[in-house]
Amino acid sequence: MSPQTDDVALSTTAERKVVVQSAGAQPDKDWVIVTRGLKREYDMGGEIVRALQGVDLAIRKNEYVAIMGPSGSGKSTLMNLIGCLDTPNGGEYWLSGQLVSTMKDDELARVRNKEIGFVFQTFNLLPRATALHNVELPLVYAGVGSAERKERAMEALTKVQLGDRAMHRPNELSGGQRQRVAIARALVNRPAILLADEPTGNLDSTTSEEIMRVFETLANTGQTVIMVTHEPDIAAHARRVVVLRDGKIASDERNQKVTSSLGL
Amino acid sequence: MGSLGGISLDQLRENVAIAFDALRVSKLRSGLTILGVVIGVSTVMTMATIVQGVRDQILNTIQAAGPTTFYVIKVFSTTPVNPDNPPKWIRIRPDLSAEEADRIAQLPQIGYAGIWAQIQLRLEYQGVRTQLISGFGADDRYQEMQGGELAEGRWFTKSEMRSGAPVVVIQEVQARRIFGRIDPIGKTIQAGGRPVQVVGLYQPPANIFAPPGQEVGAVMPYQFVLHGYHIDKTNALFICIKPKPGVTVADAMDAVTIEMRSIRKLRPADHDNFDLMSQDQILDTFTSITDIFFLVMLVLASVALMVGGIGVMAIMMVSVTARTREIGVRKALGATRRDILLQFLIEAATLTGIGGVLGIVVGLTAGRGVTALMNIEAKTPVGLTLLAVAVSVAIGLIFGVIPARRAARMDPVEALRYE
Repeated sequence: MSPQTDDVALSTTAERKVVVQSAGAQPDKDWVIVTRGLKREYDMGGEIVRALQGVDLAIRKNEYVAIMGPSGSGKSTLMNLIGCLDTPNGGEYWLSGQLVSTMKDDELARVRNKEIGFVFQTFNLLPRATALHNVELPLVYAGVGSAERKERAMEALTKVQLGDRAMHRPNELSGGQRQRVAIARALVNRPAILLADEPTGNLDSTTSEEIMRVFETLANTGQTVIMVTHEPDIAAHARRVVVLRDGKIASDERNQKVTSSLGL
Repeated sequence: MGSLGGISLDQLRENVAIAFDALRVSKLRSGLTILGVVIGVSTVMTMATIVQGVRDQILNTIQAAGPTTFYVIKVFSTTPVNPDNPPKWIRIRPDLSAEEADRIAQLPQIGYAGIWAQIQLRLEYQGVRTQLISGFGADDRYQEMQGGELAEGRWFTKSEMRSGAPVVVIQEVQARRIFGRIDPIGKTIQAGGRPVQVVGLYQPPANIFAPPGQEVGAVMPYQFVLHGYHIDKTNALFICIKPKPGVTVADAMDAVTIEMRSIRKLRPADHDNFDLMSQDQILDTFTSITDIFFLVMLVLASVALMVGGIGVMAIMMVSVTARTREIGVRKALGATRRDILLQFLIEAATLTGIGGVLGIVVGLTAGRGVTALMNIEAKTPVGLTLLAVAVSVAIGLIFGVIPARRAARMDPVEALRYE
């Protein structure tokens, strides 16, 4: 890794504090994600569950962040909010300089399409569509014409070394290949962030390592990656680890292990 | 990229492909779903083909017999009047007479006028009988007015007509039925229980619209029929009129009306106590009957389409639920509510559209079968075919709205979590 990338990726905690504290202000464009006092409550049959109780989080471009926490810590809720699948009850969420926390359904859909590439634990590929067509989907919703779509989808598949599997359906692919198709799909729209939810949860350890290497390469080539996981070995691949507990950030640190391993 | 009412063609193609894919996966379910639509559409198409065929045939017949021929009748009604108990306004009308026909024939505008009577009868020769067929009391110019040709023998002589001689010209087909290989000319047969001598064989024009039993099987001198048989003078007596060449039907009808009023000594304030009926009116009458027929079919078809539509709605609901996760994924990848709505609307419309096309194929085939049995030529009702496709697609769009909206409004978080 070049020292320059290193510099950008690893912002100081102090710096992040400054960014999150200036409420209502549009953050600097280097900050891909800024949340200020993000809250999310659910009404579970009369009982209010406070899943997130004011989360301040700032993520710079090119960072590789793992969000960890035990079940019930609010990490899924945070992921849904960061992924613009859900809207908060309180606080602000700025994504690529846009205030998305006040956006309506269809505006959020467009933001998801343009800014976010999802990678799911269960891959979530359309079973009857070919790998190529699965990768094309985000481009379909972006209104990209058929010819360009095919070209870009092919490009993305080649990037994850699946160019020769373009016409295969998901059931003709291995778990690792399926997840790589999903990664190609996530990247095809050149999103601001790659958002992965337990990306190795359904894979064996060898395949998990294979997928982590793909993430590593992406992070090294400047892709912002955010990964939600409860597995410490997986989180260890990230350069920064945010730990949630009871709907709040419990710790937010540079990953010493990674930095030390980078020193080798 | 082209666009169609706000939907890009690319999007439309994409969605139709998705729809076909979904159909392939559940062929049986889809097939049962569209059955209602298939039945509804095929019913209408069958009836339309038959009615169209019959209508064309009538037009052809009119063309053959001369579209200028018109009739004077006692009363013009779309349904036969009960001759035993007619309403008073009909009862006070005089019956038509041969004298009136003669007077009309002398008008300068008129080429031919003759009084004809229609009866139902059986022909019998040496114990072999025909079905109940239709016979005419007419004159020697019957063939000129109705088309067709004389296959053998001759028509009546003037003296036979005047005296009402018991002679008959019978349809070739009927003759073969009762005579077999025997030469019928000169033989005496029983026609409606009276002995008559066969003088000629007649072949009606090919192509003429006549359902079995309605064909004219025997033509006898009017005077013989008038005195020899019981005639329903209200419904079965008419004066057949053809204007001279160059005279319009309207002018000829005016002249006939004036002459009839003068014969019957009607004062200017009196209403006509007879009716005129032109070919156009016959066609109108037929049209009004088929219109009613159509209306009934349309109601039945609508019920079938409604049932089909509800079936589509139910199956789309199932499909939406079964594909909750797919909807979640699509939403996560950036599909807006409108994208999802369109996807499922197009799927429903594709489903019913296929039903419509199947219905058209079935209906046209059935229609052709029936018209072939009726020995008439069938034409494809193009306008109705297009309408049927449009209606089928519309059914899908209408009944697809509720399931499609349900899909469109799904919460992506919930949908992605759905197992």
